[in-house]
Amino acid sequence: MKKLSSKIWSLIILFLVITVVFMSLFTNFLYDQLYVKDSEESMIEVGERLQSNYQGGKVTDEFVEKVEDFNMYSTFNVFAVRNPKELSACVPFEIDYDTLIGPEERRQLLKGEPITKIGYEERFEREVISVIVPLTDQNRLEGIIYLYYPLARITELANNEVIILISSVVVFSMLLAFFVHKGLGHIMRPLNELQHAVEKMSDGDYKTRVNVSSKDEIGKLSEAFNEMAAAIQSEDEDKKTFLATVSHELRTPISYVKGYSEAIQNNFIEGKEKDDAIQLIHREANRMERLTNELLQLAHSNRDQEKIDVYPMVISETIRESVDLLKNQSKHKEVEINLELDDSLIVQANEEKLKQIFINVIENSIRYSNKKSLIYILLKASGGNAVIEINDQGIGIPKDDLPYITEPFYRVNKARSRADGGSGLGLSIVKDLVKQHNGKLLIDSELGKGTYVTITIPLMEEL
Amino acid sequence: MQRKLLFLLILCTTILVGCRDDQFPSIDQHQSFLASMNILEPSMTFYGESGELIAEWKFDKGYSGALIVNNHVLFYGHQLTEADIYELSSGKLVSTIKTGVGSTNAYYDLTYKRVFITNSVRNSVTSFDTQGNKLDECSLGEYPMSMTSNNGLLYVINYKDSKLSIVNIDTMDLHDEWTINESSNGILIVPEKNTVWIGGHGKGNKANRTVDILDLKSGELQHQLDVSIMPVGFSRSEDEIYIINHGSNELHATNLDGQALWNIEIGANPFTVANFNGNVVVAGFDDHKIYILNDQKLIKTIDTGSGPFQLLVREVS
Repeated sequence: MKKLSSKIWSLIILFLVITVVFMSLFTNFLYDQLYVKDSEESMIEVGERLQSNYQGGKVTDEFVEKVEDFNMYSTFNVFAVRNPKELSACVPFEIDYDTLIGPEERRQLLKGEPITKIGYEERFEREVISVIVPLTDQNRLEGIIYLYYPLARITELANNEVIILISSVVVFSMLLAFFVHKGLGHIMRPLNELQHAVEKMSDGDYKTRVNVSSKDEIGKLSEAFNEMAAAIQSEDEDKKTFLATVSHELRTPISYVKGYSEAIQNNFIEGKEKDDAIQLIHREANRMERLTNELLQLAHSNRDQEKIDVYPMVISETIRESVDLLKNQSKHKEVEINLELDDSLIVQANEEKLKQIFINVIENSIRYSNKKSLIYILLKASGGNAVIEINDQGIGIPKDDLPYITEPFYRVNKARSRADGGSGLGLSIVKDLVKQHNGKLLIDSELGKGTYVTITIPLMEEL
Repeated sequence: MQRKLLFLLILCTTILVGCRDDQFPSIDQHQSFLASMNILEPSMTFYGESGELIAEWKFDKGYSGALIVNNHVLFYGHQLTEADIYELSSGKLVSTIKTGVGSTNAYYDLTYKRVFITNSVRNSVTSFDTQGNKLDECSLGEYPMSMTSNNGLLYVINYKDSKLSIVNIDTMDLHDEWTINESSNGILIVPEKNTVWIGGHGKGNKANRTVDILDLKSGELQHQLDVSIMPVGFSRSEDEIYIINHGSNELHATNLDGQALWNIEIGANPFTVANFNGNVVVAGFDDHKIYILNDQKLIKTIDTGSGPFQLLVREVS
């Protein structure tokens, strides 16, 4: 595979070659347009000035001498010709020599028009620009003034130094190619680092980070990469912690079940002890069942983040049903639940999931309430939302633990929790379910006084 | 019926158009004229005794020269394979002679009633009768061109050679060869003085400035006549000889002995001179004009076709 830097390098070299070719063509064009045109114009001007000295009649020796004199000081080669043979005067007859001007040129000169030619002239054995000015009198071509200038093409000019020229071009191109290569390497280095980092990431090394040395596109890409790497790393760590917690949570009841069942099998315990052990095995099995159910729920609530079936429903009904379902538990703890519900509020929700939210929250409240205390449940409308406040007079949560209270298996007091029978997943499930209903979950608490849970679910918009 | 009429109409039109292609304005048999053969845009222009235009014949073919014999005119071309004979009184093409490429000149001998055409490809001269039937051919030197005849002998200058060939008209055998300059052009025999006058361009880029006068019998150089630049054409009156110098645009007149009488600068690059109706006529190749002189003075200038190269005269008494 061709590297990106090689592609850019080739592109730059290609542009360079195109530029060199274009410049040489352009120079040639300028040479033709400016140098050649300029020479032509000044030659015509000189020719016409010399022509103005011709008084008509035969071209005299004095005139020829005058032109020759001028030639000594002129930058062009100038001479006057009056030999009719050189002027193609014999042309209807076949001629056995090269004339200075051809029959077509003679005809043009007879009209009094000057002639300009560029090309190889056999007479001068080289490429020349030549201008021919006629000396005419009464339709007679008495002579011509011939001006020419060697056409030293740029290549011809540089002919002697052609080796130096070519080698300097080669050296210059090589130097340029080298520096472009180096420069590209410098520019491409962060990209190469990034590529190595991505390779390391894909091998599972989530601690990989790259140096951000610039603020350009590559710098921004490096920053984004670092953020992404940090996110993946934290996610990975969360996953490991979660798995460790789940294993730990399951291991304890399993060891109880295993231990007591072995003891029963081997008849180590008898009578009431055996009954207690069987009850304990049953309780631990229930705990495991509940834990796995809730794990399943959590997994579902995560997976079904975006697709739950919602429909209009009266929210106060659901709250009442939830409270009814928990009647035994509240009675057992002698906790009184006070309801103050606005029966007119209708929300778009899934009844089952909504009930799950309230059961989890109210169950928690009952669980951590002091005996013979009160739980207030208030439902009201506020700012287009149904707001449910659940307020207990329980043990409360320490301030430091509040931010983590909705994370799976997070417990304020691990030693106490298992006795409470909670799995540590309830609030995580609540948080996900509230989110599925586009609602909000707020938990505030005062240690020793009680906890305030506020759930906000958007009201159904009236049509 | 209507179809037949239409067909006849188309046929007639085609025939008429076809006829017109080969027919030029006619020239009266009793008309004396001066004709100019113009070769840049091939045409022949005919002028009457006072220089008035009688007719103009324009050609599609690239004729480079012509020869007038009584009521007929023969046109030939260096690049053409055949020469065409037209009848002047009708302006119609009457016959065509196969010549092959390279015809350089045509000449008519009055005594033997023979037409001679020189050829620069075959380097020969071919004789024809007045009906245009080929009679005989004789090989000559390089590029035979200028011709004249005297007393049963045809004198031919070989333009790219250094010899003049003399051919017996009757037998068409080579009679003699004389050494002359290369690039010679223009020949005139003066029987009264037993001399042959030969002009020329000069070899290479060196312009010739003399006319060589040779002895008619021996071919020996009698003397060189200094004229101007490149004398290439002659004509004569009873006692004067006219020499046209195309390099210097000068007409020189001498007596039959070659003594200079007068000269005049005339025309632009004139190649030809003729005598017509007591006047001397010169054609300027570059300025496309015909100049009529009388008694050393220019009496008339006529605009003619492009590139007049030959002046031909028919004088009917």
